[in-house]
Amino acid sequence: MSTEVLDHGLIGTASQETGWFARAGLLRRLARDRVAVLAASALGTIVLAAVFAPWIAPYDPYFTDLTKAMQAPSAAHWFGTDNTGRDILSRVLYGTRNTLVLGLVGVIVGGAIGGVLGILAAYYRRLGGWIMRLVDIMLAFPAILIGLAMAAIFGAGLSAVIIALVIATVPDVARVARGAAVGVMGQEFMEAGRAVGVSDGALIWRYLTLNCISTIFVFLTLRFGQIILIGSVLGFLGMGAQPPTAELGMMAAQGRDFLFMAPHIATIPSCAIFVIVLAANLLGDAFRDVLDPRLQT
Amino acid sequence: MARQIVHRLLISIPALIGVLFLCFCLLQVVPADPAMVIAGPDAKPETIAAIRQELGLDRSIPVQFFEYILRVMRGDLGRSIISNKKVIEELALTIGPTIELMVGAMLLAVPIGIGLGTLAAVNRGSLTDRFIMAISVAGVSMPVFFIGLMLIQYVGFRWALLPFTGRTGPVWDGGLPSLILPALTLGLVLIGPIARLTRTAVLEVLGADFVRTARAKGLRETVVIVHHALRNALIPVVTLIGLQAAFLLGGAVVTETMFSWPGVGRLAVGAIVSSDFPTAQGAIMILAIAFLTINLLVDVLYVYLDPRVQST
Repeated sequence: MSTEVLDHGLIGTASQETGWFARAGLLRRLARDRVAVLAASALGTIVLAAVFAPWIAPYDPYFTDLTKAMQAPSAAHWFGTDNTGRDILSRVLYGTRNTLVLGLVGVIVGGAIGGVLGILAAYYRRLGGWIMRLVDIMLAFPAILIGLAMAAIFGAGLSAVIIALVIATVPDVARVARGAAVGVMGQEFMEAGRAVGVSDGALIWRYLTLNCISTIFVFLTLRFGQIILIGSVLGFLGMGAQPPTAELGMMAAQGRDFLFMAPHIATIPSCAIFVIVLAANLLGDAFRDVLDPRLQT
Repeated sequence: MARQIVHRLLISIPALIGVLFLCFCLLQVVPADPAMVIAGPDAKPETIAAIRQELGLDRSIPVQFFEYILRVMRGDLGRSIISNKKVIEELALTIGPTIELMVGAMLLAVPIGIGLGTLAAVNRGSLTDRFIMAISVAGVSMPVFFIGLMLIQYVGFRWALLPFTGRTGPVWDGGLPSLILPALTLGLVLIGPIARLTRTAVLEVLGADFVRTARAKGLRETVVIVHHALRNALIPVVTLIGLQAAFLLGGAVVTETMFSWPGVGRLAVGAIVSSDFPTAQGAIMILAIAFLTINLLVDVLYVYLDPRVQST
C-alpha cells in the first residue's frame, strides 16, 4: 500500500474535516456502496464467529485423535481434520480469534502511539523535528525484519509478533497524523483558541486531536488488513504463536508438510486469512472513499 | 543532484546505526549466555570465563557496541554457533540467490503491474477496469504463502511442470526453471499494488493540461498514453516500487523458506529457530542494509525522473 499516496489524499482532507460526528451522511453513504456492505457484513460475521468461538466451535480445537487424522472435509468435519486429527473448523475459529487480536492490538496500540507522536510533532515544531527523524529511522525497518529481530531477542511467540506489529504501525500513523495535524494547525480556530487563552493541553486534545481522529481512523482501517497479513506471515515463519495454540498463519505452516497428502490442512487457514484481509481492505477503501471525496471516482 | 544524494546518504546514517544497534542488541539480550552455549553443557567455569573474555563479553555495553561496529566494518560478523563457519562467508553465499529472486520477481511484477494499471485507467469505469481492480485488491489481500502453496501444489507437484525445492544454480547456468516458481510467488504479490497505483497516477495525468494539448495536436491515442501520460505517471510508481521494497524483503523471507531457496531470508529464519544468534544478527543486518540501499536508489532514480525535485 502506498503510504505516500495515502498521505497526500488524507492530508488533503484534514482541513475540510469538521469532526467525526458531524459526518451525518457517512453511514448512509456507506450503505449505498454494495461492496462496502458486503465487506462489512463479512467482517462482522467473522468477528462474531471469533468472539463466540468457544460456543460455536463443534469440537475442542486441541483434541487430537490420530484415528481421524488428515480427513478431507465431510459432514462431520466441515473443514476436515489436520495431521493429528484435530477439527480444522474449530481450529480456524480459534485461530481467527488470535489473528484478529494480533491485528487489533497492533493497530490500536500502534495507532495510539503513532497518533500522539504525530500530533505532538505538529504542535511542538522543535520537538517535531526530532520525532519525525525517529520516525524516519523506524521506517527503515521492514515489519517482517522487526518481527524476526523481536523473535530472536524475546523468543518466538505472540508477544514478539505484537511488538513487531506495533512498531510497524507507529511510523506510518505518525506521519499521517502529523500531516493531518499540520493542516488543522493552519486553521483560524486554532489561532482563535490560542488568542482567548486556551491551554496547550486543551488545544492539543479538543482542537487538534478531535479534528484529526477521523483521518487517523481511516488510515488505520486501511492498515488493519496489512497488519493482519504481516502477523500471519510471521506466524507462518514460526515466529509467532507456538503449537498447539491455533493461529491461522502457523496452521498454514503446519499444513505445508502435508500439502501433497491433505492440501486442505494448509489451504483452509490460508483462505481464512485471505477472506479476513480482503474484507478489511475493501471496508477500508470504502471508508476512505466516503471520508475523502477527493479520491472518489 | 549530487547534493541531494549526499543529503540522502547522511539521513541514512542514523538509520544504519539503528540497524547496527538492533543487531548488537540481538547478541546482548539473548536469554542464553553465548559463552555458555559455545562452551557446551559440561564446560568448567574457567572455560566459560575464558570464552567470555575472548568474546569481549566482560566489558561495558557502550564499549562492546563500539567494538562491534569496528568489527562489522572489518567484515567480522562472528561465527555461526551451529556450523562454526564465518557468518560473513555464509552471507556471501546466500546474498546472490536472494538478489536473483528479488530481481526475478520485479522483472515479472513491474511490467505486468504497470500494463494492467494503465489498461484499467484508460478504460476507466469499464468492465476491464473493474476486473483488473478486483484482481489487484484480491492480490493485495493474499498472504504470500497462500500463492506459494498453490503454485507448489499445482504447478510443481500435480502437473510437475517446474521444480519447487532448492536452487539448481545461477540463472545463466541452467538455474532458470528453479527460479520461476519462487519469483512468480513473490512477483504476484507486487502486481496488485503496482497496478493500483499506476491506475491512480495515469488517471491523474490523463486529466492534465499537457495531455489535453497532446490530444488537441491530433496525436494518436497510443502516443498520448505511452509517451505523455505513462511517462509522467511513472514518478509515483517508482516511489511505490521503493516502498514495496519492504514487502519484497518480507516476501522474500517467506518465499525462500517455502521453496528451500538458499537465500538470506531462509538463513535468518533458520538461525532464529535454532538460536544461532551470530548468524541471525548478520542476516538481519544484511536484509536491513539491503532495504536502506533500495530506498536510496529509488530516491536517486526519483530525482532523475522528476526534474522538478532537482531544482528545489
